Amino acid sequence: MNGPIRAAVDIGGTFTDIHCLDARDGAVHAWKTPTTPEDPSIGLLTGLTEAAARFGFALSDIGLLLHGTTIATNAVLERKLASGALLTTAGFEDVLEITRHVRRDIYGLAPDPFPCLIERDRRLGVPERMRADGTAERALDVAALGPVLDRLRALEPEAVAIGLLHAYANPAHERRLADAVRAALPGVPVCLSSAISPEIREYERLSTTVLNALLMPVVGRYLARLEARLGDGGFAPRIVLVQSNGGTCSLRMAAEQPARLLLSGPSGGAMAAERLSRLLEKPNLVAVDMGGTSFDVSVVQGGRIGLVTQGEVGGLPVRLPMVEMRTIGAGGGSIAAVDASGRLTVGPRSTGARPGPVSYRRGGVEPTVTDANAVLGYLDPGFFLGGAMPLDVNGAKAAMVARVGGALGLDAEGAARGILAVTNAALAAAVRLSLFEKGLDPRDFALLSFGGAGGLQACAVAEELGIGEVVIPRNPGTLSAYGILFADLVQDLSRSRLLPAVEASVAEAMGVLDALRAEGEASLAADGVAEADRAFEAAADLRYKGQAFELLVPWPEARVAGAAIHAAGHAAGGDRGPLAPLLARFHEMHRARFSYAEAHAPVEIVTLRLSAIGRLPKPAVATDAAPAGEPVKGRRAVAGAEWPVLDRDALTAAEGPAIIEEAFSTHLLPPGWACTLGAEGALILRRAA
Amino acid sequence: MNAIEIEVIRNALVAAAAEMDVTVWRTSRSTIVRELLDYSTAVFDAEGWNLAQSARIPSHLNSMSHGLRTVLADHIPAGDWDEGDVVIFNDPYCGGQHLPDILAFRAVFHEGVRIGFAGTLCHHIDVGGLAAGSYAAKATEIFQEGLRIPPIKLIERGRRNDAVWAMIRQNIRKPDLLLGDLSSQIASLEVGTAAILRAAKRFGADRMLEAGRRILAMSEQGMRAAIAAMPDGTYEFTDHLDDDGITLDRRITLHVKLTIAGDRAHVDLSGCSPQVLGPTNATLASSQAAVMFALMCCAEPGLHMSAGCYRPITVHAPAGLCVNAQAPAPVVHRIAIGHRLLNAMMGALHQAIPDRIPAAYYGNSYVTTFQTIEGNGNREVLVEIEIGGSGAHPAKDGVNAYAAGMHNNSNIPIEMIESQMPLTVTRYALRDGSGGAGRFRGGLGLIREWRVDSARCLFTANMDRFVHAPYGLAGGQPAALGEMWLIRGEDRFPIPPKTDNLDLRAGDIVRLATSGGGGFGEPGARAPEATARDRRLGYA
Repeated sequence: MNGPIRAAVDIGGTFTDIHCLDARDGAVHAWKTPTTPEDPSIGLLTGLTEAAARFGFALSDIGLLLHGTTIATNAVLERKLASGALLTTAGFEDVLEITRHVRRDIYGLAPDPFPCLIERDRRLGVPERMRADGTAERALDVAALGPVLDRLRALEPEAVAIGLLHAYANPAHERRLADAVRAALPGVPVCLSSAISPEIREYERLSTTVLNALLMPVVGRYLARLEARLGDGGFAPRIVLVQSNGGTCSLRMAAEQPARLLLSGPSGGAMAAERLSRLLEKPNLVAVDMGGTSFDVSVVQGGRIGLVTQGEVGGLPVRLPMVEMRTIGAGGGSIAAVDASGRLTVGPRSTGARPGPVSYRRGGVEPTVTDANAVLGYLDPGFFLGGAMPLDVNGAKAAMVARVGGALGLDAEGAARGILAVTNAALAAAVRLSLFEKGLDPRDFALLSFGGAGGLQACAVAEELGIGEVVIPRNPGTLSAYGILFADLVQDLSRSRLLPAVEASVAEAMGVLDALRAEGEASLAADGVAEADRAFEAAADLRYKGQAFELLVPWPEARVAGAAIHAAGHAAGGDRGPLAPLLARFHEMHRARFSYAEAHAPVEIVTLRLSAIGRLPKPAVATDAAPAGEPVKGRRAVAGAEWPVLDRDALTAAEGPAIIEEAFSTHLLPPGWACTLGAEGALILRRAA
Repeated sequence: MNAIEIEVIRNALVAAAAEMDVTVWRTSRSTIVRELLDYSTAVFDAEGWNLAQSARIPSHLNSMSHGLRTVLADHIPAGDWDEGDVVIFNDPYCGGQHLPDILAFRAVFHEGVRIGFAGTLCHHIDVGGLAAGSYAAKATEIFQEGLRIPPIKLIERGRRNDAVWAMIRQNIRKPDLLLGDLSSQIASLEVGTAAILRAAKRFGADRMLEAGRRILAMSEQGMRAAIAAMPDGTYEFTDHLDDDGITLDRRITLHVKLTIAGDRAHVDLSGCSPQVLGPTNATLASSQAAVMFALMCCAEPGLHMSAGCYRPITVHAPAGLCVNAQAPAPVVHRIAIGHRLLNAMMGALHQAIPDRIPAAYYGNSYVTTFQTIEGNGNREVLVEIEIGGSGAHPAKDGVNAYAAGMHNNSNIPIEMIESQMPLTVTRYALRDGSGGAGRFRGGLGLIREWRVDSARCLFTANMDRFVHAPYGLAGGQPAALGEMWLIRGEDRFPIPPKTDNLDLRAGDIVRLATSGGGGFGEPGARAPEATARDRRLGYA
């Protein structure tokens, strides 16, 4: 438990990335090992064993393992889920299949159904009905449940989801039903909508509940395998798992609420962005992660990453807090083509890992963004992946002319430049929309670029946006693991309670927050978090009466269990009581995001939220030794000129134009840009004023 | 100007439409915009041709250009628009569709040159008239359908015309909601203008205009390629609307005569019924949107949808027919004409490209309006638009409960309705057996039931396909007809599909059962596994 090594492991589709922080000397080590998809815990242990040998520690020295995993996400995307059943209010068994209707491809002639994870013959109606105010219109008669339970038993479900109408307002029916189900099917996991997502809007709540129920056996098995490996070679760390919300949770919580892991992929990058924002003293960062197939954008504002209360995985809504992220289908593998109307398109089709870009020589015939970079000389054909994969530039040129240039009257270089121009415009549009929808101006931000393919596009995208500063962190390809290294436990609790935002409602709102706080305290205590390491952050979802969409408004002034949650919030609130500052913040946020506010319009509280935070110990990180050695590796013909090629590991400052290479990434420092070294080894690229 | 600059500008215009879309969604007030998502946004060139659109409502998107061009030609010439002007209108006889849809446009200037327009269209919750929700089924003149707003400068050089604002406020049932949604349209236009200007500052006015011409030309080329891929010939198809709600024994005929000749398509609608007394009429803007949409669906996936797509298509619709209604005919149910015209277009296209066209979808916007009145006089209004099943495709089953065709709405969460007004939803389910049988089965329609909890409730409905079912193709069976019932204690009464201000009382239940989609291919050819699955899931 008290070993000096804090290890972060981020398991991706191809590689398992590891970062270790040694409390004894503050050193941070990075390592990479192939992922073992059949049982990712094998690769995890292999990687840690290799890292231990390489960096000189024992497995028994690992005191804390922070684990990011796509096991839940992959199980949903590949439909390797438990065979479940749903119990819901009689008359509403089809809500899960009816969904919310709106189609995305409006001109399509051959639509597919929206995904639905539990078929109709496994959705059973229960006679009961709750009203919106939490009173029962028709009480649940436990004695009359026999026939439903018989049908349920006959389905032999591996997990049971329970989602009743208005259960967010009163969970009593769901709880009584769950007791009956547990008694009838001992050992079968049961998930209640009032436990996983106690918020208004039945379809979204049901979808989240079903996902969670069907994941419980899958994630439970994985965690059991992982725990079985504890003890090998003295390996016995405390383990926490990365959630979608930019925090971690205990094994216990992950087993009960695995849906909280579903969109955890972006969390590591988000945590890294928050940390770099602080260390580099850049409170406004827009973080972009460009890999082979997708481009993900998230925003750090005032030093904090943005969270949203709902996301989506494989077309299924997941209503749980997660890092706000915009994803577009643009990456190194995005395919360029000319369509029947003569339009140059790049993506969203991607070549994927197989066959890959033309220049990879694996049978790819369609030119990609990576091929465009190879054709223009931005990528060194001999040093790709540190020389592990020589690139076929001539093949890329031929494909460029055959598939793009020919139709547009461009040579290979012209076509390649065009592909990059179109790509950069699309990337910039995605970044702009992410900032725009919050009422933010790109010019107030620095661009944090990471992911394998980001460094070549970053400055061009920044120029499109009027951003003058780009940050490229050390080990940009494994930044998620770095971010995970510094995580805390964060448990998000919520409850919908539709209330007018007036003084008369404050007592009821505080009552809800009190209940959430008691829940949070109990949960943190169960996870072994000492009282001194606990913190709570309250918030409320507010809207003008009649609006569809709520704003998540921090509420530090909320007095919970007789005290303000933050001493600072109390001071800010003064003697005015907690409501006035909440409303003032809501109007201000509404104006910032939507360009208007109505100080006199009635406001509603829809959902109350509390984050229960368990601080994990964070050893200090040692500062790097200054880079040494000769930074100039050579020169290369790029865009019709000779550009110097620099070795990132030896670099302290440089002026563009230059190519900057490191083991798994290449970065472009265009003419008019200069770079220096910042905190944590990050490269800071600035455009001349 | 090369293909790359054009693509970058196109991208910027699509982003402008998307930013406008986000603005409307997030800032609107009424349920009809906020939960039903009944609005659209688009960007136009300096002549009013649509260059880029949001992925919202087909019936809006391909009529907005017609509306704007009508305003420019007949009401407010392009030269009379100043920087900061916002023109609004809803009058179907000035280029609109029906009165609840308010269109708002703003001209965008750069370097002193008009380079385009930003536009939004929102379906508003109520614009007055004889029924709450302004969806009166029994109107016989447009004057009964609500407030008519001709093209008018609501904002002149950045300054709001408060007299117009007050005039609107005085004539509608839910002024805070309507004016809130209208504010959100105006905010959206500001956002769109800023987004277009960002591109203009980089490329200059001339290149923006040139890019617009090229975007239209490229869409036109893609549309021509899609038409040229169809065999030349003349294809005819007829479908029917049940009636207009006033003259109950007279169906309304939608006859399409589609001629494909090389890369051009001509659609002759002269076989359609004359305009009717009730509100089941459409202006040319609405009818053209349905024709264009049908053909645009046949283009290669990924084709950029702009007004260029309209160019190879001509429409002949004589004035005075239900597809080109003349004032003062009521038109609020124009979407019924749009749906059925699309059904008829698809039936004709099936003959040209039988491996691509699905059987009929439910072809109908199931609009219901509840105005609850409590003992203390408190009133709340709910407008819902429900859907049915999509038609079976030549290679797969239709989709259950799928927003298909001319509209694209969301449903309203039951928990939201019950939290806000005295109504209880007592059932929401797929409707067994409502999809047409076939080698591929049509998607299922659905059942929704509402119970009145207030002392009184005025109920208005406007729907169709209670007599003429969605057709099957290639031997597939038609889908089930729609039904609506009033359940009062032990009694059941059929509710006519076009009903105004039915007086309901506490405890009454309204049950709506919607049509599925038609089947495709002979039912006998259905795979035994598919039949077994239908039986297991209770679909058939």
